[in-house]
Amino acid sequence: MTVWNSISQFDANNIDHQIIRTSRIPRAAAVILVGAFLAVAGAVMQGITRNYLASPSLMGVNDGSAFVITIALVFFPGLPNYQMILLSMVGSCIGAGLVFGFGSIIRNGLSPVRLAIIGTVIGTFLSSIATAIAMYFQVSQTVSSWYNTKVHMVDADMLLLSIPFGLLGLFLAILAARAITISSLGEDIAVGLGQKTKAIRLISMFAVVCLTGTAVALVGKIAFVGLVIPHITRFIVGVDYRYIIPCSAVLGAFFLSLCDLIGRYVNFPYETPIGVVTALIGVPFFLFLIRKFGGEQRG
Amino acid sequence: MANHSSRRFLFTVFVLLIFIIGASYLHLTNGVFDMSIVDVLKTLLRVDSNVNYDLVIFEFRLPRIVIAGLVGVGLSIAGVVLQGITRNGLADPGILGINAGAGAAVVIFMFFFQVRLVDADIHSWLSILMMPVFGFAGGAVAAALIFIFAMKNRYLDMQRLILTGIAINSGFGALSMYLSLKMNEKDYESAAVWMAGSIYNANWIFIVSMLPWVIILGIYLYKKAYLLDYFQLEEGSITSLGIEVEKEKIKLLLASVGLVSACVSVSGSIGFIGLMAPHIAKQLVGIRHQYVLPVSALIGATLLIIADFIGKTVFAPAELAVGIVVSIIGIPYFLYLLVKAKE
Repeated sequence: MTVWNSISQFDANNIDHQIIRTSRIPRAAAVILVGAFLAVAGAVMQGITRNYLASPSLMGVNDGSAFVITIALVFFPGLPNYQMILLSMVGSCIGAGLVFGFGSIIRNGLSPVRLAIIGTVIGTFLSSIATAIAMYFQVSQTVSSWYNTKVHMVDADMLLLSIPFGLLGLFLAILAARAITISSLGEDIAVGLGQKTKAIRLISMFAVVCLTGTAVALVGKIAFVGLVIPHITRFIVGVDYRYIIPCSAVLGAFFLSLCDLIGRYVNFPYETPIGVVTALIGVPFFLFLIRKFGGEQRG
Repeated sequence: MANHSSRRFLFTVFVLLIFIIGASYLHLTNGVFDMSIVDVLKTLLRVDSNVNYDLVIFEFRLPRIVIAGLVGVGLSIAGVVLQGITRNGLADPGILGINAGAGAAVVIFMFFFQVRLVDADIHSWLSILMMPVFGFAGGAVAAALIFIFAMKNRYLDMQRLILTGIAINSGFGALSMYLSLKMNEKDYESAAVWMAGSIYNANWIFIVSMLPWVIILGIYLYKKAYLLDYFQLEEGSITSLGIEVEKEKIKLLLASVGLVSACVSVSGSIGFIGLMAPHIAKQLVGIRHQYVLPVSALIGATLLIIADFIGKTVFAPAELAVGIVVSIIGIPYFLYLLVKAKE
């Protein structure tokens, strides 16, 4: 009831209303959006690369964003929000580019396992350099809030701004869904069916970059959502990406809100970082995937 | 031929010792408080000593160098053994998640017994001595988990091994993070500094706590190094040589987990040393483990002393954790190995 009142008849003097408007609603909205964005990004990556381990966090995309944001915070403090989001997207591009670049140089480098190893290692590398830079310019505190997710201090303006970028990504992903289904059958079949594979790859990578870039700019790095959710979705609705993508969005939103809730209450009144909660759920799932699929290629 | 390679081995050891002395010299003389070599020598040889110099050298710089060296030795030996057992050039205690397991166990220990590593005093010496033991338990759990998940039909799948390592790493990392956030403020700070892989709070008590592990297990593994040569052969031919493969592998594995735990309990998680050192050693002295093991131990010590020196001076007065320096150097090397590796 208080919640509803705070929206319909906002009273600036009522503390409950203030809390709900400035803290709770942005937080809930951010968690829902980020969950949806990351899950869809993961689904698109898994479909396009036919790699069951593909996900923003394992493939260095998250780390690329966080890296560029660190550099931006150090060298150009006080950037407007929309530039932050753009930079974060550039970072996603760099991270993905590095990982897939190395993946294609190395023999058999695009296999799920190799790519995951390269992604992890490059991610560690980027975050080490970011830490070093932050230490040198003595801004590590600001930066670490970007690295450890900061759902508890979501900026409402940033949130409003990030919606169009994220929606653009979602829209592209849904548009490309049919083509992604075809790609997930394999390169040969896709070409045989008359699909422009290069164009589709570009569009879907752009969608991934939009989605992850926005998510990282909003709350920082969150792992495992993009890995776990698409698998669960595929289990529920089958292999057609026209269904997988929207369902991933919904499930991702639900999953991340749940994790946030757990994070808030498991160690009440202190907060547990949401990344810890997703890891505690995601790691067993990850182990299960490894056990089940091993090193083989799988969409 | 044997003569030639043993001469080469002695020469390499000699050069590496010079490197270690050189790096230690740099480390001793440079820093916030610069000293000349004459002062350092005078202080070390106890010729007309000066209280300030004593403090800087004996309380700050020397323990730090010794710990960097010992940790380098321990992690590199563990790296050699792990690479030998798994027959995988990319195995490293950090990548496989053994560091993370030992780390999580130490955090649990700090959490329940409220040990502070940063301002450790003489009263807590008992708990500091206990820490490697706890670390060992955690490392052993991590190693067991890794091998259980990576084993399929009694055959160790390399790809799976590393992936499982990545998973175990993030799992234990999350656990440590969760526990350290439950600590009170001061404990948390010391845990956070420690987890980043730093040794600037070096202290003689730590050296006492890790020295026996490094010496005993180091010698044990050196004695067993010949087994690692055999492990490079086909499974069938080793068994026909009358070696109980599984049993020996488990012993070696436990010994290296012990080494890693002793290092981690003192310095936090430092990755990639156990990966780099063995590869460089193999380039220098060939593939006989009797040579590779000591040489890579020395290389590890050299690398870590230099990395700590870089972390201490480049960002002065701020300190960069040595673990971060090592990963900035080590990861390009890792990628180079991946690119170079042929299936």
